[in-house]
Amino acid sequence: MIDFDLDRLGDVWRQRPDPAELEHLKRSADAVRRRARWAQLIDIVAALVVAAVVLLLVLSNPKADTLLVGGAAILMLLGTQVRSRRLRQEELRSLTGSTEQMLDQSISRTQATLKRSRLHLLGFAPAIALGFLFAYVVDDRAAGGLRQLTSVPMARIAMVVGVALFVTAMTVYLIGTIRTTRRELERLIALREAYRGEQDSNMPE
Amino acid sequence: MARAVEQLEAITEPAGTLNGETPPFERIVADHGPLISRIAMSYEADPALREDLTQQIFLAVWQALPSFRADASLKTFIARIAQNRAISFVARQVRLPPTAEMPELIESDDPDPEQSAIDASERRMLLEATRRLPLPQREVIILVLEGFSYAEIADMLDIAPNALALRLSRAKAALKKMLEQAA
Repeated sequence: MIDFDLDRLGDVWRQRPDPAELEHLKRSADAVRRRARWAQLIDIVAALVVAAVVLLLVLSNPKADTLLVGGAAILMLLGTQVRSRRLRQEELRSLTGSTEQMLDQSISRTQATLKRSRLHLLGFAPAIALGFLFAYVVDDRAAGGLRQLTSVPMARIAMVVGVALFVTAMTVYLIGTIRTTRRELERLIALREAYRGEQDSNMPE
Repeated sequence: MARAVEQLEAITEPAGTLNGETPPFERIVADHGPLISRIAMSYEADPALREDLTQQIFLAVWQALPSFRADASLKTFIARIAQNRAISFVARQVRLPPTAEMPELIESDDPDPEQSAIDASERRMLLEATRRLPLPQREVIILVLEGFSYAEIADMLDIAPNALALRLSRAKAALKKMLEQAA
């Protein structure tokens, strides 16, 4: 028969870990922090390098089209940085909020991922076909190259097989992602319902 | 490059560290590492996944530290992050958590090995029973076992004190039943 006293059980629960375990935790935390710092550093350096390269290209060839492309690249870079910062802040808010808030945000994020994956599944094959069509129709040189290439039987077969393999692999990957995401979504929704159920059953009759 | 990382360290160290509000990360790990480890253990039984979860919690705590305000205790702040990270981790595992065994974390130089063995066995039973509780109840029980006050728990979970009392009484009943069955 177990002595069910939460204070006593709390003492059992909070037993001091042995020094080796504590040392392992410290090493683990230190490694995590080091990796995170490197990731931050790489992120900053990569953004600076891209910005510098774009700037150099624009300065070495200050024409309207390079200015336009350079400006667009810088804007895209800024947009990516802002978006990733916003995502990080959202994630932090969900971690420091209540469990239900965290679950709500996780559900929204997972729904967005599911939608995106479905869109990719529907859109990537037509996009590849469109890309080939574009290469044939618009760019004479590319079309010439493609025509030359496809006139060689082995090259034609290799290209068809390559594209077919790529499309199949992408389809399998996307279907797998959709299935996993759907299961994760179901699980998150069930969890949220469990929390709501607790709240509802706490309400006075 | 290592120097750059050190300089970055000074920039990215939580703001509070500089004015003495938040202790350095190493100190936080030394003080609250065991709490993080216990929370990870009560949500994930598989040792490899548990290690992964523990690292994810450390990372989340490190990233969230700059947003820490002294309106709550640091321990509460860390426990909230650890619980939320653990719950989202469990939700992401597209399978039921296995009930693999936990490593023993008992003092090796305990003066009373017999008592130590009894405690270890009781702790193992407690952990296994806790893992089988539904998440809303598990969350409450873990926080009680970690020594948080009811007011702190209600605040962390953003629920009314009477709702907490009801949830806790259900969790205690379920836990008691499981422990009695295990014993």
